Amino acid sequence: MILSPRVRKLREQSLNAVEKLSPERALLMTQFYRSDEARDLSAPVKRAKAFEYLLKKKKLYIGEGELIVGERGPAPKETSTYPEISLHSLKDLEILNSREKVSFKVDDEVKKIYEKEIIPFWKGKSNRDRIMSLMTPEWHNAYNAGVFTEFQEQRAPGHTVLGYKMFKTGFLKLKEEISQSISKLDYYTDTQAYEKYEELSAMNIACDAIIMYANRYADELEQLAKGERDKLRKGELKKMAAVCRKVPANAPENVHEMLQHYWFIHQGVIIELNPWDSFNPGRFDQHLYPVYKKEKEMGTLTDEELFDLLGCFWVKFNNHPAPPKIGVTASESSTYTDFCLINLGGVKPDGTDAVNEISYILLDVIREMRILQPSSMVQISRKNPDRYIHKALEIIRTGFGQPSCFNTEAIIQEMLRQGKNIIDARNGGASGCVETGAFGTEAYWLTGYFNLPKVLELTLNNGFDKRTNTQVGLKTGHAKDYESFDDLMNAFKAQVNFLIDIKIRGNNVIEKTFATWLPVPFLSLLVEDCIKNGKDYNNGGARYNTSYIQGVGLGSITDMLTSIRYNIYDKRRFKWNNLIEAADADFNGFEHIQHDLIYDTPKYGNDDDYADQHAVAVFEIFYDAVNGRPDSRGGIHRINMLPTTSHVYFGSVIGATPDGRKAKKPLSEGISPSQGVDKQGPTSVIKSASKIDHLRTGGTLLNQKFAPQFFEDEESYNCLTALIRSYFALDGHHIQFNVVNAKTLREAQKYPELHRDLIVRVAGYSDYFNDLGEDLQNEIILRTEHEEA
Amino acid sequence: MKGLIFSVKRYSIHDGPGIRVTFFMKGCPLSCWWCHNPEGLNPQPEIVEMTEKVGDKEFIKKEEAGSYYAVNEIIDILEKERIFISQSNGGVTFSGGEPMLQQEFLLEALKACKANGYHTAVDTSGYSQIENYKTIIPYTDLFLFDLKHLDDAKHYQFTSVSNTLILRNFKLILDSGKDTHVRIPIVPGFNDDREHLNELKSFLLKVKTENLKKICLLPYHKIGASKYKRFKIPYRMDGVKPPSRERMNELKNFFSETGIKVKIGG
Repeated sequence: MILSPRVRKLREQSLNAVEKLSPERALLMTQFYRSDEARDLSAPVKRAKAFEYLLKKKKLYIGEGELIVGERGPAPKETSTYPEISLHSLKDLEILNSREKVSFKVDDEVKKIYEKEIIPFWKGKSNRDRIMSLMTPEWHNAYNAGVFTEFQEQRAPGHTVLGYKMFKTGFLKLKEEISQSISKLDYYTDTQAYEKYEELSAMNIACDAIIMYANRYADELEQLAKGERDKLRKGELKKMAAVCRKVPANAPENVHEMLQHYWFIHQGVIIELNPWDSFNPGRFDQHLYPVYKKEKEMGTLTDEELFDLLGCFWVKFNNHPAPPKIGVTASESSTYTDFCLINLGGVKPDGTDAVNEISYILLDVIREMRILQPSSMVQISRKNPDRYIHKALEIIRTGFGQPSCFNTEAIIQEMLRQGKNIIDARNGGASGCVETGAFGTEAYWLTGYFNLPKVLELTLNNGFDKRTNTQVGLKTGHAKDYESFDDLMNAFKAQVNFLIDIKIRGNNVIEKTFATWLPVPFLSLLVEDCIKNGKDYNNGGARYNTSYIQGVGLGSITDMLTSIRYNIYDKRRFKWNNLIEAADADFNGFEHIQHDLIYDTPKYGNDDDYADQHAVAVFEIFYDAVNGRPDSRGGIHRINMLPTTSHVYFGSVIGATPDGRKAKKPLSEGISPSQGVDKQGPTSVIKSASKIDHLRTGGTLLNQKFAPQFFEDEESYNCLTALIRSYFALDGHHIQFNVVNAKTLREAQKYPELHRDLIVRVAGYSDYFNDLGEDLQNEIILRTEHEEA
Repeated sequence: MKGLIFSVKRYSIHDGPGIRVTFFMKGCPLSCWWCHNPEGLNPQPEIVEMTEKVGDKEFIKKEEAGSYYAVNEIIDILEKERIFISQSNGGVTFSGGEPMLQQEFLLEALKACKANGYHTAVDTSGYSQIENYKTIIPYTDLFLFDLKHLDDAKHYQFTSVSNTLILRNFKLILDSGKDTHVRIPIVPGFNDDREHLNELKSFLLKVKTENLKKICLLPYHKIGASKYKRFKIPYRMDGVKPPSRERMNELKNFFSETGIKVKIGG
């Protein structure tokens, strides 16, 4: 497959478009909230009316040559803001405009609009303000110390993926379901019948709104077709108009309709609010295959037309950077990527091999498009053929970090353990970075990263945080008070439980603010069983509800605990005083101690049980603290192990540590070993990483750097395939490969302008190397050099 | 009984089929000019100095190159890698140095590996008593057999031993019916002249048996050069350039005419 001139041009336009802040949505939202129409409405109906208002008033965009239409903002990469969630101050706008990484251009005109219209109306009224005022002093202390982050402070909960149902149905059909659900309301015994009525009415409005929006596009396309002189384009515009007339009101019946159908749905979700992980077509090869096959048999679609449509569709994702983040949220997720993760392969609902022709075609699209968004992954089941894995490896080899590799059997077992039925489990996959979910039926919210090494630091300091000068944890004692290693572990466990309690208390309030003030009637249409239950997605309407807390720094804390056990308690090489003195000096003048800690102490990632036992111990403590705790939506709190970019932020709030790490340096990411300490190669890393029980998580992240020479011939592909299959046989959840050499990276750092397209694997996603902070760039270079050595 | 091993390589993918563990045994009767494992030459443990950096500060650590392993320790290591070996149809490879120099240990290790179900490979220079090979053949699934030069004088000059014994053992192994990969280092100026290459080709055609599965052409490289300094051994290959990729492909085509599968690299 080669890209057509049309797709090449659209791709280039998308790459070159500058991320820019658009005030359109904020302005329309303000107008609506000010209007008489908005008064005296229940929360769901108000949000539905707001959604309708946005779709009625927002500017349409039809780019030259486009086959799939619709943008969140007025044009590609012109990015909306969500003042009802989080209001940007003028200072925030200045930071967004001027910061070096992940910036958004903010025109003076936009600043003026913010100053005059947006800020005066929303000041003190955004949900972020609400959340911050509702949190306890303990929560604020822990948050400020960097013990955890809060996902929902600037973005709405999302973390969900479209399932089979919506690829086979239209919104007119949903309206029927809604009216059935309304007619079944039991006002005699169901005390929530009225709330359900309001919610269902809101969903009905949202259905009409998205159909109306598609018709606006149909009208506009027909207009354009009339004026179009180019005969070919005229035909295209007419066809596009007909498609928009048909979907999403009705079920799509061919490839073009399906792509446009999904894209309207995607827009609806990200215009309604700014949910995390934007949204996602999920098991895309499975959804596309039936319509593709039908068209192939009927001869209504050539390969060229198919690639053209897919290319146009791909560009749409890349046109939509994640909405601007600031503060801690920007640190934990410093990227334009919005984590839309296309799933390929895996198994069908009946459990058989799901790899099909479209899986291979989409791998071609991924290779040829080579753009940041959407992200892509291959689900690998033991039933999937080696050829499919080889094809994925060929793309991975080119060093752009995609696709990442996931273990279908692990994903299914994780979901079965959580009580999902087998069909829903097989229809699921991973989204975001690595998060397991039942697609189309589950609301699986990430609530915040949890800084495990920070908790250890607090445990060694009687719960006191030196950096913020506050008592954050329990007063369990100082390092030298712990007479045995077990004493220390018991204190650590008490601290984890205490701080997780604070986090969960916060979660239970924060989630409720979304249920109460910010329902999402449109998103609720898409996830079963919201319509059936008459309940909003943000209020536990989905069939399955899960709240995750993501553990960060497993490799680092394992090395820290290993070092403490080895050097202080087992070998008695140092006394606590020596170690504390050295760490307090950030090892300056104590390099001999630091040397022993780094080079002469067992480390995680080498299949050494002495070290790895601490990974298991920490995992179990974290798991026990979180797993099974109820959330506010009738769901359950669970754990997963992924960092996005929070391991850099979390490292920046921790002083020098017993593993020889200097103050403020990044922590290890995911469940990968600390940078550069794995000395035995990938098999030992995999053995260490599989000692924790992945199946009791909702996802783990393992990053493995490879020099390109591991990808040189068929035998090496066979070995890599076996390596992946081995990890998955050991129940590993996910593995991703960074194939790049350090020289290239250094060059890119020096001459960023020459390496605009350099994409590397960060942690759970790929990013432009240029868009990474310098510290993260350096970290990736170090890891790569280590790999080459 | 213990064997002296200077390196254990996991995820070894070029020393036989699949994912393997390669044990590099210390001590070699040859001393090839281009040897990239000079730490494998001396049959005794040696102390080497390693530089370890902490920030700007450098620490010199004395490290022993070569440790003694018991057979059960070899098996323990393999057991840790079992999942990868079984998923990839891999196994274990004994390389060196020259593993036959520790023939007794090698035999015991091979027996134990076979008893535990592992595919075994021996990477050898061919320079050992014919009786030694006869004892290990039953426990070896694959031989990686080096052929460096057919001319005895040249062979002696650049490896310090005669090739008579080597060629005889090569014949023995081919006749044993065990799978064999012949490995030919391509060393510019030593064995890559047209005349010698033609000789090699006719030789291989002549001895060719069904179990001669593969010809591996190993391009000379300089990766080992820095080790010479560390081991205080003079390096005699200064100025020799590694063969180009084009040259290697040319040679690959050339040897393919034998009808035997040819691969660049192990």
